[in-house]
Amino acid sequence: MSTEHANATDSEVPSGTTDASETVDSVGAGDASALDAESLVLGYPNAPAPVIDGESIAAEPGAVTALVGPNGSGKSTLLKGLATQLAPDDGSVLVDGRDVHAMDTKALARKLGLLSQESTSPNSITVDDLVYHGRYPHRGFFERTTDEDARAVEQAIELAGCGHLREREVGSLSGGQKQLAWIAMVLAQETDVLLLDEPTTFLDLHHQMEVMEIIETLRDESDVTVVVVLHDIEQAARLADRMVALKDGEIRARGAPEEIVTEDLLADVFRVDADVVQTENGPRVTPLRARHEDTE
Amino acid sequence: MSNSGSVAGGDAARRSSEGRIGWLFDPKLVSVALASVAVVVVAGLVQISFGAYSMTVGEAWRAVLDPAVLLDPRWLLNFFVGEGLMRSITGFQGELPELAHGTLIVWNIRLPRVFVAAIVGMNLGVSGAIFQAVTRNELASPFILGVSSGAGLMILLTLVVFGGLSAFLPLIAALGGAVAFLVVYAIAWKNGTSPVRLVLAGVIVGTVFSSLQTGLFFFADDIGVVQSAIQWTTGSLTGTDWEQVRLVLPWTIVAVLLSIAGSRQLNLLLLGEQTAKSLGMSIEKVRFALSGVAVLAAAASIAVAGIVSFVGLIVPHMVRNLVGSDYKRVIVGCLFVGPALMVGADVGARLGMSVITGADSQIPVGIVTGLVGGPYFLYLMRKQQNMGEL
Repeated sequence: MSTEHANATDSEVPSGTTDASETVDSVGAGDASALDAESLVLGYPNAPAPVIDGESIAAEPGAVTALVGPNGSGKSTLLKGLATQLAPDDGSVLVDGRDVHAMDTKALARKLGLLSQESTSPNSITVDDLVYHGRYPHRGFFERTTDEDARAVEQAIELAGCGHLREREVGSLSGGQKQLAWIAMVLAQETDVLLLDEPTTFLDLHHQMEVMEIIETLRDESDVTVVVVLHDIEQAARLADRMVALKDGEIRARGAPEEIVTEDLLADVFRVDADVVQTENGPRVTPLRARHEDTE
Repeated sequence: MSNSGSVAGGDAARRSSEGRIGWLFDPKLVSVALASVAVVVVAGLVQISFGAYSMTVGEAWRAVLDPAVLLDPRWLLNFFVGEGLMRSITGFQGELPELAHGTLIVWNIRLPRVFVAAIVGMNLGVSGAIFQAVTRNELASPFILGVSSGAGLMILLTLVVFGGLSAFLPLIAALGGAVAFLVVYAIAWKNGTSPVRLVLAGVIVGTVFSSLQTGLFFFADDIGVVQSAIQWTTGSLTGTDWEQVRLVLPWTIVAVLLSIAGSRQLNLLLLGEQTAKSLGMSIEKVRFALSGVAVLAAAASIAVAGIVSFVGLIVPHMVRNLVGSDYKRVIVGCLFVGPALMVGADVGARLGMSVITGADSQIPVGIVTGLVGGPYFLYLMRKQQNMGEL
């Protein structure tokens, strides 16, 4: 194998360029936010070696960045690190130049939202109540919901397309409907940066498309910076402005989808031989066979 | 995606008109509250009517509603805040007017016991509800994080070793519970806590402390001490008086207000740690503070009634089945269902033995709650497929 370390050269804007215009905290106003991680080292307390060892990643403001990679490549870990769910052993995560670990938790939650891969909730909570929980970081301890909250919830529910579900109990929903409800909750948070961990996994085709459409709307009509982990590389290519491919905790390639989704990269990162055909709907990947390096 | 707009408007209106207390008028919650009040009143009347000095229900009613007490703030203050405070509030120095014999018995002896039972029920219900949310486990009880074992050990130590301190037994017991809770928290802490670690640490501390507790029984040389220790560690309302009401009431008010104020945080905890954290909750602070409120409520109930089992486990359960999982409603529901269960169980504890055996003896109320609670859980276990995780 000669393709190892075929890291695409990093052509990104250096992360230092975000200037001091970040004081505007209000939702929807101002420019899109930047999310940068610098030489991030992430691991789990009981694991001997870190999963991610000194990687840097910058999410382009206002664009959709997709993280792809095989199982165990560290893409979800990286996302957790970006979302401060996992404290980094080293390195830092910056939102608009500010270190997220130094920020007040609520202030951070107004900037940066996360949709986890698996979310649990009591079965008898209504979709409406769930979405209202998204307003938590915007409310004080004793504050009741304001018109502003109601407006944000309306908008989130409309964007997520779950208006017909709002009186239903979450426990009675299908997996896809649940996911829409959770997405509405994260949208109601009105953050500048949105991190989504495999939002389409386990959903039927219809709901996969629903979720994709929501992200597309975010990309086209708002300034929200989205980082999304996706299992399906074709989906990722269709959806993302930029893609980052990981393998074994290392970033192997990053760039525009057409640069990333290539036969070489699929062989290197995903260990499959595949046909890649560029179509008007993005690249079409036809996996042919799994590669077994050790037999070569 | 098309019909979301029309539904949306109406809902926003509903939210804003609901306001701060609108959620209280949920029909399910109101009927739970009314039914519970009915149980408390009936059980209370039974408690008041029967005993060594028996009266008819009519006489009992008249004694409870005796205008000589109800319309005399001096008597009411005398009961609820104590004689000393009553005199300084009202400036009244003479003798209080005399009461009828029945009124005296009801107000002095029987009514305070009903009040204490109701207050203990509230405390245990709220405490259990909080612990179940904090540990995200339906099987958590107020005593899961070491509270009961800590209190039990201190009770035994006081009775067996430091007999001179037994006047302060309620406070020492409550303190022991609170200290054990801190020990549990310290053991569970490792870059933060998690529900599972907390429960495990609670089991560890519980095991060690109850071994020590059992060991101490061997050093008790007097059967009276042992009986008193058993009363405390199984929970009993025998001999409760206005003094106990006055001891427990202020803490109860504080704990109840704090838990209602914290209900939104509890709701968020139910969404799981990850979600709560990503919504900006400082999860460790909130969890510790809420646990503290729950320990306060549990300790208050221990101070007057000892360790009453099962109430804190069952009440939140019943309430959740009746009103749903929204913690604002759950907490308020517990304030009603807790007293209903506790006052009802105390009828059994006080009068059960004389009905069954004819003997004029009382059993600790904790035995009755255990006898009621066990089968209820058996029923739930059979009925529900998955119990445990909330």
